[in-house]
Amino acid sequence: MSLPKRIIKETERLMAEPVPGISAVPHDDNLRYFNVTIDGPSQSPYEGGTFKLELFLPEDYPMTPPKVRFLTKIYHPNIDRLGRICLDVLKANWSPALQIRTILLSIQALLGAPNPDDPLANDVAQRWKEDQNAAIDTAKEWTAKYATA
Amino acid sequence: MADFDERPAKKRRFFDSVSPDTTTSALASTSAEQPQATGAEQGVSVINDGFDLATLSAVIGEELTELDIQKLKSLSGSNLERAINIYLDGSWRVQRSEITTNNSNEQPQKSILAHKEDESSRSDTAKTEARPAPEPRSNTPGVPPERYMGAFGATGWATRSGYSLLKHGDKVGIERARPQAPTKQKGRGFNSKKHDIVVRFTNPRGEEVGRLENETAYWVSTLIDQNLCRFSGTCVYVPERIRSSDTIYLQIRCYFRRSAFEENDLLRVQENDRPNLFESKESTGEKALRLRQVALVRLFEDINLHPTTAPKISDTAKRQSILKAAEVSDQKEKNKSTQPSRAVEDPVSTPPSDENEDGQELEQDQLDTLYKKAQSFDFNTPEAEPAETFVMELRKYQKQALHWMLGKEADKRSDDREESMHPLWEQYEWPTTDADDQPLPHYNQDQFYVNPYSGELSLAFPVQEQNCLGGILADEMGLGKTIEMLSLMHSHRIDADLLLESGKTNKLTRLHKATSTVESAPRTTLVVAPMSLLSQWQSEAEKASKPGTMNTLVYYGSDKSANLQGLCSGANTADAPDLIITSYGVVLSEFNQMMAIGGNRGTHGGLFSVEYFRVILDEAHFIKNRQSKTAKACYEISAVHRWALTGTPIVNRLEDLFSLVKFLRVEPWSNFSFWKTFITMPFESKDFIRALDVVQTVLEPLVLRRTKDMKTPEGEALVPLPTRTIEIDRVQLSQAEKDVYDHIFLRTKRTLNQNVEAGTLLKSYATIFAQILRLRQSCCHPVLTRNNDIVRDEEIVGAAADLATGLGDDMDLNDLISRFTDNTEQDANKFGAHVLKQIQEEADVECPICSDEPMVDQAVTSCWHSACKQCLLDFIEHQKEKGIVPRCFNCREPINVRDIFQVIRHDADPDDADKPSISLRRLNCDASAKVTALLAHLKRIRQKDPLCKSVVFSQFTSFLDLIEPALARDRIKFLRFDGSMAQKQRAVVLEEFRAQPKSCVLLLSLRAGGVGLNLTCAKQVFMMDPWWSFAVEAQAIDRVHRMGQESEVGVVRFIVEGSIEEKMLKIQDRKKFLASSLGMMSDEEKKLQRIEDIKELLS
Repeated sequence: MSLPKRIIKETERLMAEPVPGISAVPHDDNLRYFNVTIDGPSQSPYEGGTFKLELFLPEDYPMTPPKVRFLTKIYHPNIDRLGRICLDVLKANWSPALQIRTILLSIQALLGAPNPDDPLANDVAQRWKEDQNAAIDTAKEWTAKYATA
Repeated sequence: MADFDERPAKKRRFFDSVSPDTTTSALASTSAEQPQATGAEQGVSVINDGFDLATLSAVIGEELTELDIQKLKSLSGSNLERAINIYLDGSWRVQRSEITTNNSNEQPQKSILAHKEDESSRSDTAKTEARPAPEPRSNTPGVPPERYMGAFGATGWATRSGYSLLKHGDKVGIERARPQAPTKQKGRGFNSKKHDIVVRFTNPRGEEVGRLENETAYWVSTLIDQNLCRFSGTCVYVPERIRSSDTIYLQIRCYFRRSAFEENDLLRVQENDRPNLFESKESTGEKALRLRQVALVRLFEDINLHPTTAPKISDTAKRQSILKAAEVSDQKEKNKSTQPSRAVEDPVSTPPSDENEDGQELEQDQLDTLYKKAQSFDFNTPEAEPAETFVMELRKYQKQALHWMLGKEADKRSDDREESMHPLWEQYEWPTTDADDQPLPHYNQDQFYVNPYSGELSLAFPVQEQNCLGGILADEMGLGKTIEMLSLMHSHRIDADLLLESGKTNKLTRLHKATSTVESAPRTTLVVAPMSLLSQWQSEAEKASKPGTMNTLVYYGSDKSANLQGLCSGANTADAPDLIITSYGVVLSEFNQMMAIGGNRGTHGGLFSVEYFRVILDEAHFIKNRQSKTAKACYEISAVHRWALTGTPIVNRLEDLFSLVKFLRVEPWSNFSFWKTFITMPFESKDFIRALDVVQTVLEPLVLRRTKDMKTPEGEALVPLPTRTIEIDRVQLSQAEKDVYDHIFLRTKRTLNQNVEAGTLLKSYATIFAQILRLRQSCCHPVLTRNNDIVRDEEIVGAAADLATGLGDDMDLNDLISRFTDNTEQDANKFGAHVLKQIQEEADVECPICSDEPMVDQAVTSCWHSACKQCLLDFIEHQKEKGIVPRCFNCREPINVRDIFQVIRHDADPDDADKPSISLRRLNCDASAKVTALLAHLKRIRQKDPLCKSVVFSQFTSFLDLIEPALARDRIKFLRFDGSMAQKQRAVVLEEFRAQPKSCVLLLSLRAGGVGLNLTCAKQVFMMDPWWSFAVEAQAIDRVHRMGQESEVGVVRFIVEGSIEEKMLKIQDRKKFLASSLGMMSDEEKKLQRIEDIKELLS
């Protein structure tokens, strides 16, 4: 099956004008499957880390949102142990006007602004609420441990 | 019964009010000297019974004289001639004078003795008749009241017993039986079954002895009743003692009465000089005539009198045919009356649905053969150049037609035509000796003439009248009959100098029928055409003529104020119109008006008050039914030259042709009896070859017919028409349309199945057919299938909503922008203005959904966010499927399909620089796949050929209603032509379409526009929906693809894929001519056939 024009265009653009701190490279054998890396935003517990994600564009993309998952372990109230992400634009607030680029930016922003009130990983969120500093420390720890080469 | 035999002198006029007193005074009038008494009494009684006067006088001739003169005058009214005839006869006087004197008391039965007078008493009568009186006819002066014709042997049987009632050599009186008791037959004058034919004979004492055998009585009675002959007999053999029903042999002498040679109302009815009052299948007049014909033929046979001039058909054969023809129609009548319900199975009588037409239908192959014969056109016939005033270029075959027509119109009277006898008549010589070889008194008249087809008798030589100076131009549709006719109008007209003279000759030839008040219009040609073609005739006439050489008048509607008589008369040659165009409807209504004022042509001042130089019936098959009023009205138009134009001179019956021949007044064929004898009758008795041969001889000199597919000897087409390509565009319904279609389909199918199971298919035929109609409509536009009121309500609600939101179906971008910029307080509006400006500047924006650049069919939401139309619709659909409220992909405002607007960039229109070139259109305005497809085609054509005009046909005018706004939205210029428009309006539309300098679309309803019109200025045809028979569509296509078309013609037929329309195509293929082949079936068969089709349609 041929690739929709939109995916081709998005891919081309991601290559030509990459977003600083983000890279997305499609697989050779499946152009809907992207290897993504996001640099942890500065002034965040994830600074200095490079997080790997996988991104998959489903059949009816852009009607449905892309599926994105962290491959790198990360300590974050909105990301669970399996790397799944709780982010509205990846779910109900998806709009076909959004793109891979914008989604990845949103994820990057999520790293900079965790939202423990809408948790996915409940234990992390609990911790974050009770003792934010300790939680941030753990996050830094994890970043150093898993997200640095 | 006896009452009726009596002759109540005092109460003659109140005959039917039988009173005891009449019985006693009855005998008053009995007298041998009252030869016509019987018939007269009959006449009176019939009149008082309320029978139609015309019929009556037709039957009993001038014996109406029994009425006193007062009554006679009031009765005969305008018909002075008849009154004179009656008066002249004189017998009433005799009777009157004798009534008072002769009071001999005899048996009541004797009262009706009419003919036992001897020669001397006869001459007495003659004397009384000789008294001065206005002479009615020029052909009867100096003629004896009766003249011996011949004698024949006859047998009779006695009705009474006794000795010496009669002996050998006795004079025997031959008389009609007493009139039948007035059984109050309703309506028709008589009926063959009840028509009494009893002829009695009496002994010299006037006592009834017996009756003639039926076979003889059958025609003898007619001759007596119609007052043609008197009979007297001699007894040849009689038994001494007569017993009831003994055979008696008589020799009967026959005398022609003078009245037989006088013009008879009956014949005039037949000649259609006056309107036929009867609409029955065989009019009463025709029937009386038939009896008369048969009687005369039998008489001549029995007295062994043969015509002295040899007719072209052998005498006996002819007589046989006439008798047979009469027999057949007698038979027919019987079949009709005895088994009307089984008429369908009866091959002789016509099926009930065709009651108003007679004659059998022609099989298709017979028709083909006939046409083929009539089409043997010689390509080397000479050509004629049209007059200079005719400005159009004629093709070769058209010049040949002109030559032929000029030849037909040429006046050949200068030849020795005066000498030739009318082809219908036969000449006979009076016998010079009687049956006993005794010389007869000599009169200076040696011959008399008989028309065996009309039963007319004449003493004057029947001159062959001017033969038809016209014909039938039967070129196939599209070969330019109109043009050919116009070239004739230009090329054969009468110079002003010759007017006077020609006027004279015209009058001579037609005087007998046209009352003197008919004015000759020596310059004028009258064209009678179906209403839809009036304007076409007018414009063609203008196109074909040098300015000022063809003064045209459309005589229609409010335009017919003109008094044609004054306008067209020879005295007014300068202003007289050369061409008057009118419709069949006008002819009919004026005919009715004229009849209403007593048939006086002159005072009416309309169409019938003028004798034209030429009359042309366009689409002349319009009058194919000779009994129709329109046909009769057309027969009455007076003109020197008579032409009929039709592509189909015979539609499906040989009688169709008769009506044309009758209109053309082609002798002898315009005599229906003659026609019936030689064409209808052989044809109905399966003697097809003979009948068709005769038809061919009729056609050959009269008809010119060429067809489009004729090839010249060089193998070239007669009319090299540009090619025509038909393409079928298979349209896919949108989901919404398909839902509607499927719903109706299932419902129809269910109805069908239910009815099949219940066996009520025939009964519910109409219902199912209506549902199929719905189904076909739903292929065009789902709205067509819906209740108009509901649709309207919805529209109102929608409009109200739009008013609230400031949206509309079709919004002008400039307006919108100014609306937003005027109202800048709100950010949203600023944004809207920005987006719209972007659109206006035609900035290429990428679709946020599919990333196409530019967007495919850019569409805008009600919150002014744009994307490809399809992307947007897909997205909304996707959201709906997920069960969530659709929201804008951009701002997440709730959105709905209705409020999606497509950005329409109109092609630049240099004429209308002011017009906005971009507008926003509500998306689902054209919810019809066909309309969308049509628009796509039209736009493509417009880009390819900006001048191309197109024609769009649909059988649903409501569909045209829906196409109109779609065209308007796309700024496609269009015009509309349908049956609801007045004639003037139609003309305006056609002219406007023709005159359009640029591309234009004409929307036509298949019904109103499928026939006759000339739309050769268009090059493209769209058939929005299929008809049951392709022939109808083909006819519509031929409006464009016909003579005069110079470019290739493209045809697109829209068919919805996988729908009933595809199956209709199959049916069309299976039998090319569903609709017309159904014409050959009875109603019931039609239904069955259609139901078969319906089953297939819904399979």
